[in-house]
Amino acid sequence: MDDKEPVVIDNHRVLGVVPGKPAVGDRKVLSEDDTVMVWPHLLVRHAVAALLVLLLVMVISLLFDAPLREIANPTNTPNPEKAPWYFAALQELLAHFHPLVAGVLVPGAIIGGLIALPYIDRNLSLSPETRRVARVTFTVFLVVWIGLTLVGFAFRGPNWSWVWPWNEWHGEL
Amino acid sequence: MRVVDRIKGSVAYRSIFRLPDAVTERDRAAAHWSSFLLHLYPVKVRRRELRFGYSAFLGVASMVLFGSLIISGIYLMFFYVPSPANAYGNIQSIQTDVAFGQYIRNVHRWSAHLMVIAVAAHMAKVFYRGAYKPPKEFNWVIGVVLLVLTLLMSFTGYLLPWDQLAFWAVTVGTSMASYVPLMGETTKEILLGGPSVGSATLVRFYVLHVAVLPAIMVFLIALHMWRWRKDAMLTVDAAERSIAAEPVIEEVS
Ligand code: HEM
Ligand code: HEM
Repeated sequence: MDDKEPVVIDNHRVLGVVPGKPAVGDRKVLSEDDTVMVWPHLLVRHAVAALLVLLLVMVISLLFDAPLREIANPTNTPNPEKAPWYFAALQELLAHFHPLVAGVLVPGAIIGGLIALPYIDRNLSLSPETRRVARVTFTVFLVVWIGLTLVGFAFRGPNWSWVWPWNEWHGEL
Repeated sequence: MRVVDRIKGSVAYRSIFRLPDAVTERDRAAAHWSSFLLHLYPVKVRRRELRFGYSAFLGVASMVLFGSLIISGIYLMFFYVPSPANAYGNIQSIQTDVAFGQYIRNVHRWSAHLMVIAVAAHMAKVFYRGAYKPPKEFNWVIGVVLLVLTLLMSFTGYLLPWDQLAFWAVTVGTSMASYVPLMGETTKEILLGGPSVGSATLVRFYVLHVAVLPAIMVFLIALHMWRWRKDAMLTVDAAERSIAAEPVIEEVS
C-alpha cells in the first residue's frame, strides 16, 4: 500500500472501507420485496385492524338485539322453513334438484374442489393476466353462489314461492 | 423511564422474559422468537404485505372474531343449560336478568355471522392473490377445513337458543343428511341422536359447539398461522423461482 496522505473527514481519519449496508443513513429506494421487521410494522397494522373489527362488533351489538322467537314447537312448522343464511344457497338448490344432488353431491363437490384447487391449478405465475382461467372459474362460482344465497335468503316466501323482499320480508338471521 | 428499566432488570422480569436488550435487529428477532404469542408470526415480512390491498387483513379479522366468540361464548356458558326444559328460559333470563347478558349474546350472535363472512372473504382474497400456490398448497387445505368448521360452529350454535328459528333451521339442515347414499338414515341419527331434533340433539350440538369443534379450531388456526410464518418470506412470484417447491429455508436469524 502506498504511503498516501491519510483521508480525513470532519477531523477523523478514515481507516478503512467495509462492504455491506451502512449502519445508518441507508437511503436506497425500498422495493416491495424488501423486508421489514414484523414488530412494529405489521403488528401495529394488525392491532388497528383488530380494533376496527371489535368496534364494528360493538356498534352492531349495541344497535341490534339478537333475535329470539317463540320456544321451539315440533308440532308447529313455520312457513317458510328457512335454513341459516349461509346454507340458503343449498336450500335454494334443494328446490330445483333431487336432494341427493343439492344436499350431498353439490356441497361435497364444492369442498372437494376447494381442497383440490392448489393441486389442479399448477400454474406458478401470480400475475392476473396469466391466471385467466382460474380467475374466471372462481369468479363465476362466487357470483353464482352469492346469487343463490341472496335468492334463498331474501326472495323466498311461504312454500318457497318467489317474493320481492321489499314487499314481504322472510329473511332470518 | 427509570422505573421501567428497574423492572426490566429485575430477576423476576428476566425469568419471565428471557430476552437480550434490544440493541440490534438481531436482538429484536431473538426477542420475537422467544415470545410464545409472537412466535406464530414471522420476524420479517416483505413490505408488500403491509399494504391493505395485500390481505385486507381478513385473516386477522377472522381470528379476532373467533377470539370474540370464545370470550362471549364462555360468558354465556355460565348461564346456559342445554336441555329443552331449560335452554329457552336460560336465553330469556340472559337477556333480562344477567349483567350485560343481552349485549354479550348480541356480541356472540353477530360475531358468528361476521366470522362466516370474514372467513369466506379471506378465502376469496387468498385466491385472487394466488397465495395457495406452491409451497402454500397445504395451508389452503387447512383453510378449507377451517371454513367447514366455522360453518359447523355456526350451525351447532344456531340450535342452542331452542326457539322456533333454531329448531326448524336445524330440522331443514339435517334433513339433507338423510340423502347421503346408503347410510343416510344412520348419518342423520348420529347427528340428531334420534329420529328427529330433540333433547339428545341439543346435548350433542352443545358438546360439539363448546368443546370438540373449538378445540380442533384452535389447533388448526395455530397450525395455519405457523405455516404462514414459515412461508412468509416466499411470497415472490413462484414462476420466477426455478423449482416450484424448493426446500423451505427460514431466512431469519
Ligand atoms: C367459531 C366460533 C363460534 C361460532 C361461529 C358460534 C356461533 C354461535 C351461534 C350462532 C349461537 C346462537 C346464538 C344465539 O342465538 O344467541 C351460539 C350460541 C352459543 N355459543 Fe357459540 N359460537 C362460536 C364459539 C363458541 C365458543 C368457543 C363457546 C364456548 C366456549 C360458545 C358458546 C355458546 C353458548 C353457550 C351458546 C348458547 C347461548 C346463546 O344461544 O346465546 N360458542 N354460538
Ligand atoms: C377460521 C378461519 C381462518 C383464520 C382464523 C385464518 C387466519 C389467517 C391468518 C391470520 C393469516 C395470515 C395473515 C393474512 O393473510 O391475513 C392467514 C393466511 C392464509 N390463509 Fe387463512 N384463516 C382462516 C381460514 C382460511 C381459509 C378458509 C382459507 C382458504 C381456503 C385460508 C387460506 C390461507 C392461506 C393460503 C394463507 C397464506 C397466505 C400467504 O401466505 O400469503 N385461510 N390465515
